[in-house]
Amino acid sequence: MKEMNQTTLRRLISVGLLAILIALFTAMVGAGSGKFLNAENLMAIVRDASVPGIIGVGVTYVIITSGIDLSTGSMIALVGMVMANVYAYTLLPIPVMILTGILAGLLCGFFNGFIVAKLEIPEFIGTLATMSVFRALAYIIAIKDANGVIMSQPMNVSQYAFLGSTIGGSSKGIPYVCVALVIFVVVGQIVLRYTRFGTNLYAVGANKKAATLSGINVERIRMMAFVITGFCTAVGAVFTTARLQSATTALGTDFEFSPIAAAVVGGVALSGGSGDVVGTLIGALFMATLENGVRKLDMNTAYQYVIKGVIIICVVMFDAVYKKRMDRIAKEKGAKEGLE
Amino acid sequence: MKNINWSKYSKPIILVAFCVILTILRPTTFPTVSNIANVLWSVSVIGIMVCGTIFVFLVGGIDLSIATLCGFSAVVVVEVIHMFGDTTMGVFVGILAAIGVGALAGCVHGLIITTFNIPAFLVTFATQSVFLGLSMVITNNKIVSCTAPAAFTAIGSMKILGFPLPIYFMIVIAVLSWFVLRKTVFGRWIYAVGGNPAASEISGINVKRATILCYVFSGMTTAIGGIVLASMTRQAMAATGSGYTNDVITAGVIGGVSLLGGVGTVPGAIFGAVLMGLLNNGLNLLSVPSTHAGLVKGLVIIIAVGFDAMQHRDQSRKKSGFAFFKKKNA
Repeated sequence: MKEMNQTTLRRLISVGLLAILIALFTAMVGAGSGKFLNAENLMAIVRDASVPGIIGVGVTYVIITSGIDLSTGSMIALVGMVMANVYAYTLLPIPVMILTGILAGLLCGFFNGFIVAKLEIPEFIGTLATMSVFRALAYIIAIKDANGVIMSQPMNVSQYAFLGSTIGGSSKGIPYVCVALVIFVVVGQIVLRYTRFGTNLYAVGANKKAATLSGINVERIRMMAFVITGFCTAVGAVFTTARLQSATTALGTDFEFSPIAAAVVGGVALSGGSGDVVGTLIGALFMATLENGVRKLDMNTAYQYVIKGVIIICVVMFDAVYKKRMDRIAKEKGAKEGLE
Repeated sequence: MKNINWSKYSKPIILVAFCVILTILRPTTFPTVSNIANVLWSVSVIGIMVCGTIFVFLVGGIDLSIATLCGFSAVVVVEVIHMFGDTTMGVFVGILAAIGVGALAGCVHGLIITTFNIPAFLVTFATQSVFLGLSMVITNNKIVSCTAPAAFTAIGSMKILGFPLPIYFMIVIAVLSWFVLRKTVFGRWIYAVGGNPAASEISGINVKRATILCYVFSGMTTAIGGIVLASMTRQAMAATGSGYTNDVITAGVIGGVSLLGGVGTVPGAIFGAVLMGLLNNGLNLLSVPSTHAGLVKGLVIIIAVGFDAMQHRDQSRKKSGFAFFKKKNA
């Protein structure tokens, strides 16, 4: 019961932080100008949060098992390039092309899981390595012209490009990627909270040894988390390339930390065993709001970087102070109950 | 003969094997004086930085801001030199300012991490963005070249006894780090804090102060790396040093430093730096495009760390798990 309360409170805090951020930017950009707080811009924020949010579902699973996956950005580029190759060199229909991309993502995830769970390489180093491996593979399979110069492969067939647009195609409609986000978050949360697999993820993250002793196949659970991340990343890559209508080797550069930052801001502890998918969604919305708001301030990009960094630090500091307070209250409560 | 502990000698053997392979593959270009100097240059920058960041790794932290802090200090030194009208005096002040900036950055990292108990990963992820922004603000997002006082260009290009000056910096810093870690009480503290912070706290170690000092030292070596890089390239920009975060962390990890804290040595880290330098140079000589080099580097990490993890597993796991991985005479 007490733990339940804590989770609810933590959720309220994340939502509160998001609200504060929105209020802050509304004030800074100028409430009167209506540049920040309008339906269109809010939809744009949700759209920007969608790909990190979708990938964040998998990343949340990995972080709950006390792991980390730094390779998602490079994986986006590799999946995009695999699809570009299928598109350019075969006559296979578009759905098959998408399936090939998703298969590539699953394989990448499996490879991550294999080196981490079977070879017992620490997650941080293992996925740091695959981050460069996947990026390099994307360069290697990239489509090149006669002189060996990498070209970006346009993929502007309507059967595929529609995924990057909105339902109904008008600029005010709901983007498909947002629908995918909702599906991923709902399914991800249900799996996490109401299935044995979800419970096992928490168990592995909280205490690997105890999980092994209680009969959980820890190796398999950890691998599954990485494979799911591969799947989510592939889906994210499909939407990204569909929106850009092309695949480039630079896709997902500097993206490595976005889903992780989203998860952590949303209350998923890097030490494992706590947090959930809805928290990550709030975190993704927070990060997207931050990016969007800073952009709307019409400042030099240089200042945008500084402000972004400072706000992230402030949020985590606030979070840490809050957590300390909650721990103390819980401890005092425990002591009181003990006395009684 | 049977009882030789091969793992003890595996590092020098790997380095020699690497050199032999490169000599065989590129007999005319690899074993030349100018190329060895190139390797040493590349090694020295990574080496200087890893000797400081090893302190952070040892207390169980990480620094993702290495690359942008390196760029920021490069920008600071060059701008200060310009401010002093390209004089030798400016070089001294610039170097002090850059190292001061590095120390301050490290201090801020350490203070935030220890006061609020926030993962180092997050703090340095955020500050990386701050440093990048600050360098862009200062340089107006342009390349600032600096070719003027000889005292500045000498840092990166002067040679003593045929070896480039930065390699001596690396040796001095490495000896200093090694001394602090191995021969002082403070060094013992660091290993203790990394191994078990709670136990260290109880046994009277000032965990907070030790951790902050580690970050300060790491910030200072990163700044020195940035100064050397700026002098070598005779310019500075926000992107100076990009890519070094991965190279430095990889060097440490290949050298046997555990990112969980408490495990790692300076000689190991230097080995990692030399291997990274050789790897960069070898890939260059074999004309592997830089875009493909990541594949080789990534696989090298997986093999090196996987091999290491395998040895540990053999020691800890007596029962037969993987027949394939099992050592015959363990």
